[in-house]
Amino acid sequence: MPVIAVDAMGGDFAPDEVVKGVARASLGTAIECVLVGDEHRIQKILESISYNPEHISIRHAAEFVDMNESPKEALRAKRDASIVVGAKLVADGHAQALVSAGNTGACILACARHFRAIKGIRKTALASVYPRQTEYPGQDQLALLLDVGATIRCDALDLAQFAVMGSAYARRVSKVERPRVGLLNMGVEPFKGGDVLSEAYQRLTVLPGIDFVGNIEGNDVAKGRADVIVCEGFVGNVVLKLIEGIAEVVTDVASNAVKRRLMWRLGMMLLARGIREVAHLADYTKYGGAPLLGFEHLFLKAHGRSTARAVENAVKVAAKAVRDGVPQEIAAGIQAVR
Amino acid sequence: MTTGWTAVLARWPRRSGRWSLRPRRATRRPAPATVVYRWDLDKTYLKSDFESLRKMMRVPFERAHDKIDEPGVVALIRALKTSARREQRAAFVYFISASPPQIGRAIREKLALDGIECDGIVFKDQLQHLVRGRFRLLREQVGFKLAELLKARLAAPAGAVEFLFGDDWESDPIIYSLYADVIAGRLEHDALADILVRLRIDPARLVEIKALSQRIAPADAVRRILINLERRTPPDRFHSFGARLVPTFNYFQTALVLYEEGVVPLAAIVDVGRSLLERSAYSAAGLRNSLDDLARRGYLAPAAALGLRAELEEAGVLPSAGVLGLWPRQLWRRWRRRRQRARAPLRPPIAAAEIEYPRLIDAWVASGSRLGGEPS
Repeated sequence: MPVIAVDAMGGDFAPDEVVKGVARASLGTAIECVLVGDEHRIQKILESISYNPEHISIRHAAEFVDMNESPKEALRAKRDASIVVGAKLVADGHAQALVSAGNTGACILACARHFRAIKGIRKTALASVYPRQTEYPGQDQLALLLDVGATIRCDALDLAQFAVMGSAYARRVSKVERPRVGLLNMGVEPFKGGDVLSEAYQRLTVLPGIDFVGNIEGNDVAKGRADVIVCEGFVGNVVLKLIEGIAEVVTDVASNAVKRRLMWRLGMMLLARGIREVAHLADYTKYGGAPLLGFEHLFLKAHGRSTARAVENAVKVAAKAVRDGVPQEIAAGIQAVR
Repeated sequence: MTTGWTAVLARWPRRSGRWSLRPRRATRRPAPATVVYRWDLDKTYLKSDFESLRKMMRVPFERAHDKIDEPGVVALIRALKTSARREQRAAFVYFISASPPQIGRAIREKLALDGIECDGIVFKDQLQHLVRGRFRLLREQVGFKLAELLKARLAAPAGAVEFLFGDDWESDPIIYSLYADVIAGRLEHDALADILVRLRIDPARLVEIKALSQRIAPADAVRRILINLERRTPPDRFHSFGARLVPTFNYFQTALVLYEEGVVPLAAIVDVGRSLLERSAYSAAGLRNSLDDLARRGYLAPAAALGLRAELEEAGVLPSAGVLGLWPRQLWRRWRRRRQRARAPLRPPIAAAEIEYPRLIDAWVASGSRLGGEPS
């Protein structure tokens, strides 16, 4: 069973929810977790809940990076921060993957400092799964968007490598045999979007092992045309936040409407089951987190507001990715296109 | 096998985490001359399944070879007897169960199959209660077990030290703690009567318990109460029972506690560990984590935990933490981690608290006669 290092001090509800999530994973699975953080606080929380000690160990880290701190300065000043200790554990081979719900910048920086990049990879990508419309029965309800913030600007070769990484992840974790890859652009024509995107289009068209479906416009992101959508980090982050924002606004509008008219309230009651299903589909706690792809080791970034359930799922996804050999699959894919 | 350095460094005498030329203080207690081990049967020795009425009804009809023991328990009970014999101490193993005597034959056969020497088993005569129409007594456990334990104490050799083994399913922690305090003379007769009334014990049984408690010569004989956390009840729910009661997640942890109490040798921990690894699909890393958990919970002194870790690594029960063949950077990191661990403030040992029985019993009754309540 893989060993997963978990940053116990990272996240809005850390360490309580993180420790509870790991405790839940310890009871339901055979995954071994190393909780990294303040040993005494972690132990105190553990003792107040049900857990299986056989699957949990604790590595003491005296400091942690706060959500609002500047990543560079925090890592410079806090050498014994939980995220740094966790990254070192993985780099030294004591764990096979790292999970954190903490400061994203600090997490990426800590990984960049301690993990070795896969040979041939120029830039890493943070990938996020999001719910989308399905086109045919049996199609996965989740698509992968990368990069969503690890690399702000990138060139055509980087985007091509993101496509390889995203395909490998979708193949191994989502079990999509031949993932369809799309390039996020402002039009479907190959020459749209400027030099970088035009060149990326050309590269992706001839890339072996990649099922490229062409450019994907913003209105197609939530549809089932592509299983993997590649874009630069700046754009990806905006898209991801936009999806989250729209979901929140729709919920707010619906709840306000319910208050205004009795008929609308009755209508909502009739739709209740459907709404629950949509809410269930959009529930981020189900998906675990966003993998940082491109390193020899795996890092999974859980949502900052992660609850115990989200952390438990993040641990499970990380273990699955390790078991299914995602970094090895990416390395093989990159080797093939070099 | 552990590569040389770890074993050498672990055995090297240290004080407060610093290297020292003074010999390390032995943390093990001396073994008592006469020890009585009292074991609960279901969920402590046997992995009995009472989760549904159907499964519960099946229990009386199970044959010896159908019964499944808790992982590691057989190796541990065997070691209790063999180590005492080897060290020329007297050790007695008794079982107490609220199950009817009709299952006695299967239990005795199971004990024989497991190679466990048992000095006696007490069952609850449910049939008698049924015939007499005393249906309330069918489910009542506290009064029955407490009375039987007191009777057994009267028959025990003088000066015998006791270790009690139970589980977190029903009321073992409260029964055993009450028993320990009664025989230690810590509970006045009025206080005991009040507690028994709160526990809604049958009046006839109450009179019997009071009479038995008056006949016992006070002795602080119960050294440890070991509760098998079969339901994974959060350990801090047992803090109010004080340091005497140790909740353990598996029998490897129990063996470690008994080793520190001086009643089993290191070989017993190795045997229990091997049994868990070979028969119950435990992993060596899981056993190491169990040892660390016990130390973090304050039931194993840090120096003792470190020493035990090295010895068990050497015995092949825990994963080897050999240092040869590592790069200097990794060695440096390991040294720094050890320094950090040594510097981390230690958890104070759990106090031997005086138990507030009225509060404890109210909580116990409120949780549906299950001390641990539902696992969270």
